[in-house]
Amino acid sequence: MAQLHFSDEILMAFADGELDEPVAATVEQAMASDLAVAKRVAEFLRSRHLIRSAFPSETASDVPPELRAAVQAQVDRFERHATQPTSSGGGQASQSVPSSGRWRLGMALAASLAALAIATGGYLAGRQGLQPSSSGPIANLTAPEVNRTLSESPSGQDQDLPFGRMRVISTFRMANGPLCREFQLQMPSGTSNAVACRDHDWVITFATASAPTNDPYVPSGGADLMASYLQNAGAGEPLLGSAEMKALSEAQPQR
Amino acid sequence: MPAAIGQELVALLPRLRRFALVLCRSPSLADDLVQSACERALANADSWAPGTRFDAWVFRILRNNWIDHLRRLRTEGMKEDVAAQMEIVGDAGEEPILSRLLLAEVQQIIDTMPPEQREVLLLVCVEDLAYREAAEVLGVPIGTVMSRLARARKRLVEMTAAA
Repeated sequence: MAQLHFSDEILMAFADGELDEPVAATVEQAMASDLAVAKRVAEFLRSRHLIRSAFPSETASDVPPELRAAVQAQVDRFERHATQPTSSGGGQASQSVPSSGRWRLGMALAASLAALAIATGGYLAGRQGLQPSSSGPIANLTAPEVNRTLSESPSGQDQDLPFGRMRVISTFRMANGPLCREFQLQMPSGTSNAVACRDHDWVITFATASAPTNDPYVPSGGADLMASYLQNAGAGEPLLGSAEMKALSEAQPQR
Repeated sequence: MPAAIGQELVALLPRLRRFALVLCRSPSLADDLVQSACERALANADSWAPGTRFDAWVFRILRNNWIDHLRRLRTEGMKEDVAAQMEIVGDAGEEPILSRLLLAEVQQIIDTMPPEQREVLLLVCVEDLAYREAAEVLGVPIGTVMSRLARARKRLVEMTAAA
């Protein structure tokens, strides 16, 4: 069975209906098999509801009459100046409320799983044994050896680590600045493709893992999934050659 | 040909004022801000692209006006006690009614958040802007919107979970 690690941003984006189809489908599958993931999604749903409820509802009566009058006067002045009589043809603001079937399905799933998690969480978790196993590749993604290789090794070279073989695939910056690297960890128990971003240490932001056996559950191949993730997360162009080594050697900017 | 945005602008006033309150936390300042944003929107009606969200376009104008204002004043504050002005009203939708106590707590947590988290919470969770639209309003990359939003919402959940 594929094991996945999702960053808060990705699970939040799922809860908000902002993920592209391949990644959204993967999150749904992960939610179905891992109650911890379902719970995190449910918390993002809950926070949105809490925030929406806590903000004062906007009602026309809240607008002071003086403000309304002043703006109306501005409007009248501008519309008098308009050369053309104003027809009310255009201009309804288009609402981009997410409305795909996928999104609604996800919400229903999240809601029901959240309830399930509260009611029967212990039972299901114990019975299904779906937690990442301690010997699988996911468990080793945060090992110090991996961290060191991420800091030092250029892309494209194999490194032998005590528990397997690691290869950094590419180095790039996310849209919001952090330096990130995509890499692969091969172990006898399976292979993991992951992305780590540097925040003092390297933090895993996304990972897929597949068992060495044929696994019918992997949705569409790890490569597609990784590509979708990188696109959703706003990954920039790969840094090559000296640009890569320079980025790796730069001190972590203070944030 | 200028688009006729006047009536849409008037209809948007309550939401503009709410956003302005989130930004400047002073009712009187918020009213000035809304008025100057409306003036600028009317004067630049041509630059709104029909088919895109009108509300997001005006939000952006309003926020840019606020940044200009801060730059001119070179001041952070001018904060009045906004708590008294902002009545806590739960939405009367189909969702289960949350306790007033919890709502007050959430309101208080939001109030203590940094401005860049408060504004993104409002735009996405209350105004239902897509991440990309919020990023355009705020003038930051979409990844920044996502990290600020996730951090603020995690914090909120953590702080209310203890109750």
